[in-house]
Amino acid sequence: MSDNSQVTAEDVQERAGIDRSVRFPVMFFFTSAAVWLFVATLFGFLSALKLAVPALWADCQFLGYGRLFPAHMTALVYGWAMQAGIGVMLWLVARLTRVEMTKAKAVIVAGHVWNFAVGLAVFAIWIGKGRSIPWLDFPGWMWMLFALSYLMMVVWVIPMFRVRRTGDVYISEYYVIGAAVWFPWIFITANVLINRGAAPVMAAGAAGWFVTNLIYFWFAPIALAVAYYIVPKIAGRPIFSYPLAKLGFWTLAILAGWTGFQRFMGGPFPAWMPALSGAATLFILIAVVATCTNLLMTLKGRQKLWEYSPSLRFTMFGMLMFAIYGVLAGMSSFFSVGKVLQFSHFLVGLDTLAVYGFFSMTIFGAMYFIVPRVTGCEWVSGGMIRWHFWFSAYGILTLVGVMLVGGLAQGGNMADLDQRFAVSVGNSQGYVIGRICAWFLIGISNLWFVYQMGLMFLGKGRKSEGPTLIHGEPGKSAEAAAGLNPENA
Amino acid sequence: MSDHDHDQNLDYEAGTASVVDMHDAVKREKVLQPSGHEPMGVTALVLCAMALIGGGIVFGHNNGFSSSIYVQDFYTPEPPPSEDGAAAADENVAWIDKWMKDGKKVYNNCIACHQPDGLGAPGQFPPLVGSEWVDGGTERLGAIMLNGIAGPFTVAGQSYNQAMPAWNGLSDEKIAQVVTYIRREFGTLPEGQDGVVTTEMIEAARELYGGKPTWDEGGLLAIPEDAMLPGAKVDLQTGEPIQ
Ligand code: HEC
Repeated sequence: MSDNSQVTAEDVQERAGIDRSVRFPVMFFFTSAAVWLFVATLFGFLSALKLAVPALWADCQFLGYGRLFPAHMTALVYGWAMQAGIGVMLWLVARLTRVEMTKAKAVIVAGHVWNFAVGLAVFAIWIGKGRSIPWLDFPGWMWMLFALSYLMMVVWVIPMFRVRRTGDVYISEYYVIGAAVWFPWIFITANVLINRGAAPVMAAGAAGWFVTNLIYFWFAPIALAVAYYIVPKIAGRPIFSYPLAKLGFWTLAILAGWTGFQRFMGGPFPAWMPALSGAATLFILIAVVATCTNLLMTLKGRQKLWEYSPSLRFTMFGMLMFAIYGVLAGMSSFFSVGKVLQFSHFLVGLDTLAVYGFFSMTIFGAMYFIVPRVTGCEWVSGGMIRWHFWFSAYGILTLVGVMLVGGLAQGGNMADLDQRFAVSVGNSQGYVIGRICAWFLIGISNLWFVYQMGLMFLGKGRKSEGPTLIHGEPGKSAEAAAGLNPENA
Repeated sequence: MSDHDHDQNLDYEAGTASVVDMHDAVKREKVLQPSGHEPMGVTALVLCAMALIGGGIVFGHNNGFSSSIYVQDFYTPEPPPSEDGAAAADENVAWIDKWMKDGKKVYNNCIACHQPDGLGAPGQFPPLVGSEWVDGGTERLGAIMLNGIAGPFTVAGQSYNQAMPAWNGLSDEKIAQVVTYIRREFGTLPEGQDGVVTTEMIEAARELYGGKPTWDEGGLLAIPEDAMLPGAKVDLQTGEPIQ
């Protein structure tokens, strides 16, 4: 063991070289993602507000829910989540394959195209050119812009993987490389079906399929790659079980593509399609169980680190949300439950839980780890990180609670035919207010994050030794702060 | 953590970062050790098994990958509330009303083709209203339901040439309910008949025709027009057989 866990001078040198080679693309993606996150939060807050007080700015077409909400989702998914994910992906691949990135310039050019596309998409939706297709709201022709710039940003990971300088393939590598190649497949399939004249019913199906697949085929693998990297790094322990990790990977790889149609239960699809999708969604819980067991066992005895290390705390919170997401998605795949929740606030909440609660929180964890390494300065303040965490955590938990209780109540009201539909709308008002609170909390939390990220980008971070911890004086290592011995416990 | 290796050339632009700090962030980092190979553990195994069972339950409602069944067992729309607003308590409802209500639910499988009003689609799907097949004996209807029809087919003087799927995947009870429903709702019943088809009668039909190939018109015409499936008549109020 002690041979493996010794940090050598060559290691350090190599890591520094790799970090340096990706620092421009990574920081480019992180900072532009942070800006988009801010925009998305703003739209999210406004759209929640519109739901509660529809009469607000009723005469202004630019501030209608029908535009604010799709704009919010587009900015959140393509501007923030995917961009941040690509940044993390590039860094992870470089680190894991131990190959320096040589195409940084090309990636940044493509990154500008992507940002331009996101900007255009949000603007187009905002001036009323959206299509009302969940997560694909932008005007039809724009998908090529996204697809091409994605390819230009991400193709490089394939040659890097091929010339990797490591023996066996680490589990995170499976996940990132998987995500890298799955996205073009699902994105192109969905868009071709929708834009090139599939039957309208099939187009709706493709859109639903795209949403769950983006979650299971892109967000989930990247977040899991992060978790499988961060947790052993911080804990200074090897991953508990490689076979278990691979079980998780293959479960996801085989089953994710079957999900999506459970959203259309009772809809104009042959009954077996929602049944099969529902079953796949439940089977995916195996990946959830495998991952959570693995990470918890890896951390066992050193959980105290999570109080101090920002990376670990965000990542583990993200994984907890992954488990909750998996369970809720599985639960609503049962026909008896799904038919109640189907048309309620639940679904919006579920999507937000995936993008914000699970994916984004894990990515924050990765960012807290990566950014000091590529910029060479430390996060300014542990206090701000703490606020970022707690406001995000409360925001997302509020959202989950509200959507679950609210969704059940609203769905139950709608199913009750002795009641007028308007009653169900009226009764859901309380939950809508909960949603505003949630977005308000998340908005505040992101202020701290965006501010810190900006400082790091400008090189204005703390110039000192030792990490910025959530608690305790800076400069100490997380282990020292947690009172654990530095080597294997 | 304090002695820095100043030989490293990190080549950062001035002002972006300092060699010293950069070095520290990377240096304090731990090495990624080769992954372990521990077994899975009982709790995880039990949880995985639960996921598999749950998925199996949902998957069980796939209705055999039929491309023409659209309605899931647990997902049948509630019927609209009765006119006076209050649904009568279960015990006070006549057996036949419940039987018809259930039949109507099963009929959801047929509406894509025969339409909710049973009038079909001209030239494509034959009507059930005014059809001699519905008005006639129950043996032919049972046979149609179990094995489906293919090829040219004449209904009420109009000819059709499509395929009617077999419904042998449905339980005997459901077939009985839907046949009762179409006969009483859409058919013109001969004098003295109540149009009820019971589960027992469909069981008999399965004995006779279960597992036979898809019908063509000739095969069905060979069954006598007014042949009824054997089975006891039932009391419409209670559903009990009448001796
Ligand atoms: C896929 C479309 C389709 C569905 C679904 C369907 N049918 Fe049919 N049905 C047909 C066609 C087509 C024919 C005529 C056969 C032919 O053209 O060869 C037919 C014929 C019939 C007939 C005999 C002719 C008549 O019009 O009386 C009956 C009775 C019947 N169907 C009942 C049902 C019932 C009950 C169900 C639901 C359980 C059902 N069908 C579902 C397409 C369908």
